[in-house]
Amino acid sequence: MSSIPCAIVGVGQTHHKSRRLDVSFGGLVREAVFRALDDAQMTFADIDAVVLGKAPDLFEGVMKPELYLSDALGAIGKPMFRVHTAGSVGGTTAIVAASHVQAGKHRTVLAVAFEKQSEGNAQFALGSGKGASLGAGGAFAPFIRSYIHRSGAPEHIGWKVAVKDRLNALKNPYAHLQIADISIEKVKASPMMWEPIRFLESCPSSDGACAMVLTDEAGGLAAAAAGRPPAWVLGASSRSEPPSFPGRDPVRPQAALMCAADVYKQAGITNPRQQIDMAELYVPFSWHEAIWLEAFGIAEEGDGWKMIDDGTTELGGGFPVNCSGGVLSTNPIGASGLLRFAEAANQVRGAAGEHQVEGANVALAMAYGANSQYFSTWAVGSSLTPYA
Amino acid sequence: MTRFVESTITFPYKRSLGPVVGMFMTALTEQRILGIRNGTDVIVPPMEWDPATGAELAHDFVEVGPAGTVESWTWVPKPSAQHPLTHPFAFAFIRLDGATTPLLHAVDAGSASALSVGTRVAPRWKGTRIGHITDIDAFVLGETPEVAGPDHGPSETPVSMMEYQASITYNNPVPVAADRVVEASKAQRLLGQVCPVCARVYAGGRGYCPIDAVELGTEHEVDLPDKGTITNYALVTPVQYPGQTETEPFARVFVLLDGTDVILSYQPVIELAASDVHVGVRVAAVWASPAEDIDEGAAMGGAYGALIGWMPTGEPDHTDPDLVNRIF
Ligand SMILES: [Zn+2]
Repeated sequence: MSSIPCAIVGVGQTHHKSRRLDVSFGGLVREAVFRALDDAQMTFADIDAVVLGKAPDLFEGVMKPELYLSDALGAIGKPMFRVHTAGSVGGTTAIVAASHVQAGKHRTVLAVAFEKQSEGNAQFALGSGKGASLGAGGAFAPFIRSYIHRSGAPEHIGWKVAVKDRLNALKNPYAHLQIADISIEKVKASPMMWEPIRFLESCPSSDGACAMVLTDEAGGLAAAAAGRPPAWVLGASSRSEPPSFPGRDPVRPQAALMCAADVYKQAGITNPRQQIDMAELYVPFSWHEAIWLEAFGIAEEGDGWKMIDDGTTELGGGFPVNCSGGVLSTNPIGASGLLRFAEAANQVRGAAGEHQVEGANVALAMAYGANSQYFSTWAVGSSLTPYA
Repeated sequence: MTRFVESTITFPYKRSLGPVVGMFMTALTEQRILGIRNGTDVIVPPMEWDPATGAELAHDFVEVGPAGTVESWTWVPKPSAQHPLTHPFAFAFIRLDGATTPLLHAVDAGSASALSVGTRVAPRWKGTRIGHITDIDAFVLGETPEVAGPDHGPSETPVSMMEYQASITYNNPVPVAADRVVEASKAQRLLGQVCPVCARVYAGGRGYCPIDAVELGTEHEVDLPDKGTITNYALVTPVQYPGQTETEPFARVFVLLDGTDVILSYQPVIELAASDVHVGVRVAAVWASPAEDIDEGAAMGGAYGALIGWMPTGEPDHTDPDLVNRIF
């Protein structure tokens, strides 16, 4: 099945904070959108369709924000789509936008995702508006306990990820958490929130947005000719599975394995560890780095934590992960997935600034959502044929 | 007949208004109504961007009104609790003098016959104004603005935030399968359903097998043991959000029922301190007494009906090393 090549020619994001009280909803998303349009040297007039993703409406209490924001996003008279896949939604938003280009339906598509967590409360929203919400940490702690048990990983692995991602965030001016004195001791000393997850092993609540301009092969080649290298979509996939059934394994969810296999097949990747230069993995709690390294075939089952222990996933290591600081440093939930996809694109464009991986040609981005049951992943390259 | 369970959720959302709407709200506390210039148009309430093109607008504010002309209206004969007035009124598009777009607001016109397209109206301000669109209590007939009651003056500081108390009430239908597990729980029975295709057993009245996409009915029901073993757990430090019911750290456990492959997820524990929860603890179901109120809405995961939680049996722990991996 052949499709039209899709290029990412513009990426933008807001400065992320606990509370962006200086902007309205519309002002927040437009901050990211104008950065992406400027990066693409485009205006709203160049956009043929808009795709918006965010977490469930209970987070801010605005029903159908895609309709409310249609004029803020320059979408009047144009197709406007909303994507809903819980925490993975930002990634799925990029994939839906890419699908429109790849199908030849729309030439240039604006993908936007945001969350303004300060307007509501994540625990309230995740608990469906009732008391005794487990929150994401409570929901995922049992999965992490199972991973630690079956892999035999030592407890300092989680602390190491927490430190690594915050050190990376110090190189990213947009990142929310900027903890200059982050250290293993500081992580260890932070309060236990959801055993075995400590406070500093957890993601923050952020206000923020991310936007991306995707276009067709001609648009990508034109950007490249003008000295603005695009990222090319090598493979993109979404998979889901039911939240619970006897035999379900949330540490190696079937949907994650299928999602990875589909992307690797499309991209011609047979050895992810060797053929991918860096990854932005959705890691809201430190241990998820090890869990996803394994589920996405970058490490053998049971070995993901060893790549963390020996420094392989550090910036400068053999397989850097979350050079941007990741979800652990910045978490505007709906945008968190799109930020992963955008950071991967920027890495292969050579546009990642201080947290650039030297010579990155192929990057992987993934996001997951709900009860570890929705997965979105793409691989992007500095060319359409990185292995030629 | 399907049974319905009513539930209401509410939350005090906080909106940051941004520079343009913030200016509009601040002006309302001063009994002034602002628009914003967009070329030859004056948009009221002001917007940050051109609604047609998305182009950013300069912060060129224009005071409009206070009186204006009704362009269109609809009568509200029976106001609800969420309407701005308690007696019959009109919602109207009002083109304030100097504006090129209409403002939607309430008109306290007394009767529908007092209104027509072209009727002149003016604001009746609230005496206490906080920077909210309801600082205008309603519009009244005529050219002259009024203040309802004593005037407490403008806001001392610029208005940048707005509280929004959202509330929604649902009437949830209780599926037959869920209703039956709640009924069985009153007789201290744990009811499960066996999938005829894959033989997986589901507790909690799910009513279908998500693997085979087949409906499970009364013919698939089976009684489940009310004893089991804790396989895994979540210890939660409760965040104090509006509607939170917990103040102390609490546990939710996964219970593998004896002799089955069935896990009951996110179960409360009773007479077991959160700090004593661990993998392998032997537990038995705790049932509400018939006199107690029970939650009639069956939850997917968590306790339901007369099943209120699980308490230790005092037997020695189970030590199967794979228990911890049984979460679902
Ligand atoms: Zn089945």
